[in-house]
Formats: sequence, structure tokens, C-alpha cells
Amino acid sequence: MAEVRFWSFIVQEFKHGYKLAFETTWPVWLVGVLLAILSLLIFLWWYTWGIIGGIGNWGDWIYYLLGIYDSAPEKTIFENGMSVSNLGLVAGAMASAMFSKQFRINFAPKLEYVKGLTGGVLMGSGAALAAGCNVGGFYCALGMFDLSGVVMMLGLAAGAYLGLLYLLWEMENLPSASDSGRNSSSRRSWEPVKPYLGLVLFILIILIFLLSSQAGSTQTGGLLFFGFLIGLIMHRGRFCFANAFREPFMTGDGKMMRGVLISLMVYVMGSAVIKWGYIQPPEAGVYHAFWLGSLIGGLVFGFGMILAGGCGSGTLWRVGEGHVKLWMAMAGMIISYSPSLAFLKNYDLTKWLSYHGVFMPNIFSWPISLSLFYLFCPFLILILFWNEKTEKFVLF
Amino acid sequence: MNVEEIQSDKFLDARGLSCPMPMLKTKKKLRDMISGEILEVWGTDPGSKNDIPDFCKKNNHEFFGYVDHEDGYTKYYIKTG
Repeated sequence: MAEVRFWSFIVQEFKHGYKLAFETTWPVWLVGVLLAILSLLIFLWWYTWGIIGGIGNWGDWIYYLLGIYDSAPEKTIFENGMSVSNLGLVAGAMASAMFSKQFRINFAPKLEYVKGLTGGVLMGSGAALAAGCNVGGFYCALGMFDLSGVVMMLGLAAGAYLGLLYLLWEMENLPSASDSGRNSSSRRSWEPVKPYLGLVLFILIILIFLLSSQAGSTQTGGLLFFGFLIGLIMHRGRFCFANAFREPFMTGDGKMMRGVLISLMVYVMGSAVIKWGYIQPPEAGVYHAFWLGSLIGGLVFGFGMILAGGCGSGTLWRVGEGHVKLWMAMAGMIISYSPSLAFLKNYDLTKWLSYHGVFMPNIFSWPISLSLFYLFCPFLILILFWNEKTEKFVLF
Repeated sequence: MNVEEIQSDKFLDARGLSCPMPMLKTKKKLRDMISGEILEVWGTDPGSKNDIPDFCKKNNHEFFGYVDHEDGYTKYYIKTG
């Protein structure tokens, strides 16, 4: 009798926990903290986390296979660290979307596809100019104490502002044919199967991790797993940098940006310990384009991410959730980042854009660099609350 | 109250659109409405389930709730404040 009670209790609690984890959206600040922890784990496990490097690897392969590039990339898509963590990110988001039954191939009106592709192309070239996307060039640059992150933040904010101006213009001037007939044919019959598919995906990732470890590439296998977790938590909180930069201008909502700032405060604390303690080289991950490249790149990337409706990381997790528009955005990034970077390098423009970071502790010393983060982030958080109340920066 | 029985005054079809378009269009639509009128929004983006109630709360619109339609989209009901 007692055993029956035990199991029914376990089942009941499991259902309750499952509901909490996969039917409710996680608080943004929590996802921010978890993202910082995962970024730090990746930094310890491998090197600084990034996204666009993997996108670049995919582009290199496509152009090589088409016969446009002469030489094959050094690493395959299963060897390049960022490529592997990107694959994990998409898989993690897909698993999370399956667990929460939110996965669905979501077709959009044609104009949205054009915007997705254009936004993707802009994000790719912006990331080439800034030597990083919103993750590498902004989030991780700041986490690594590269001052370029501040410049890219300004660029991204300006780009998001202009992007929103465009969206407002588009709403007034372009017809929005809601071409959603195809969505309604989505059969609900496989709805109950989705969580099991998510489970299969999760087990598959673990298996690949184990197998790759046996084959002697534990590090790369681990990146797949970390990427998976990042995809999962980002999807659970719908964590998105495009949202963070856009909402203060659109609805005034500063929640997402506050999540990003809280995340950064955790990130820099951990990264300071790791760098200061020489566990990883102090200037690891400090190579972004200070300041011209980061500013222009941020502007172009910021505009692109508003058009596409997702930043580098946000695009990937939405790809996993099934949005066809974001598939276009990813394709856009793949086709534009690799040749943009090749162009900049070929014409020696990287020097002009100054492809070198500025390591903050070299200028301010460690204690002051850290203090600056702990002064500015809370200050910005207060500004965001103020904007929420007064809507001073809201465009319409 | 059964939200589906609500008679809406205005209607917005945001199906197929993803973030931020449903929220942006909802905001614009609400601006053009008179206080007390009810807006019905159809959407497919899972993010709207958080965005629309949050937006209503912040802007003093009354959010009546949402219903998942069996064809895979969600209907939202908002009373302008």
C-alpha cells in the first residue's frame, strides 16, 4: 500500500514539476543568470562562447562546395567549436519547444520571408564588421572585458531604433496580406507525441556526447551539450537580444534588457575570477573592432535583427521552434557573413576597422573595471524602469 | 466567464507573424480604438501569450484571456482602457 502511495506521489510531483518547467515561461532574469553560468562553463571548458564563427564555418563550406572558394575550411561542421554549439542550440530549442508543445512549422506571409532574408544578410555583414554578432561582439565581448562591447551596444541600440522606425513605416504603407491559411491545416493529432520527440532528441544529444568522447573529442562533444542547454533555457524564457534592444523603444518594456544586464553582472564576476586567476589567458576573447567596426557593425546588425525578428542567438532558437521566417534569417546570415569577412580581409579593411579589442583592465585596472560594471548595469536598469514609467524613449 | 462568448468590436489577424509584429500591430490597433471597445486578436506566435497580457497590464487595458483554437492558433481578447 505504501509503495503505491509512493509512486502516485512521485508521478503527481513529476507532473507538477514538468508543468512548471515546460508549460510556464521562465522569468527573464533567471534565464539571464543561467546563460551567464553556461557562458562561463563554456569559457572554462573551451574558450569564449560565440555564434557567428559557426555560421561562418557553414558559409565557408557552402561556398567551397559550390566551387566559389578554392580551399576547404580547416574544420568540418562537426569539428568547429561554434558550429557544434550552434547545432546544439537549435536542438535544445527544438527539444524545449517539443516538451512545451510549442513546436510548429510556422509559415508566414511572403513579405516576412523577404524581411527575414534581408535581416539575415544585414546581420551577417554587420557581424563581419564588428567581428562578432550580438553574442560574440556584444554580450561575450563585455563579459571578456573588451570595451568594444560598449560600442557595439550603442550601435545595436541605434540600429534597433532605426529598425523599429522602418517597421512603423511598413505598417502604414505596405499591405499586410495575412497569408496564414496554410498554418490552419496543422494537424493536432501529433500534439501528444511532441514531448516524447523532445526526449528522443535529448537522449540523442547525450549519446553523441558520449560517443564523441569515446572517439577522443570530449571537448567538442561537450560544446554540443552546452549549446543544447543554452537553446533550452533561451527558449524557456524566450530570451532575445533583439527584444532587449527594441522593447524600450516599442512598448517601453525593459524586462529583457534588465535580464541581459543582470546576466552580464554575473558573467563579468566569473570571467574576472577565471582571467585574474590565469585559468584562461587574461586577454582571451578580446579581439573585437574597437571602435569603428563595432559601431557600424552594431548599427547594421541591430537594424537587421529587428527586420528578422531575432538576433544571432534568438534566430537560432526560433529556427528550432519552427519559424520559417527565421530559417530565412539564418540562411541570410550564412550567405552573407563568410563573404563579407573575406572581403574585409582581402582589402585589408580589418586594419582600418581596427580589429583589436581594448582590454579594460589594461586601462582601468581590474578592480575599477569590475566596479564600472557594477555601477553602470544597475544605473541602466534604473533608467529602464524610468523609461517604463514615463515612456520617454517610446517611439509611438 | 467564457471568453469565447465575448462580442468583439475590432479584429486583428496576426496569424503566421512572429515577434515583434503581433505586438506591434496590436499596439497600433488599440491606439485607434475608443475606450471600452473590445479587440480580438488571432495569433500563432507562442511569445504573444506573455507579451499581450504584459502589455495590457502596463497600459491599463483589460486582458480577458486567451483561447487555443483547435486549428493551432490562439485568440486573445482585450478591452481598451
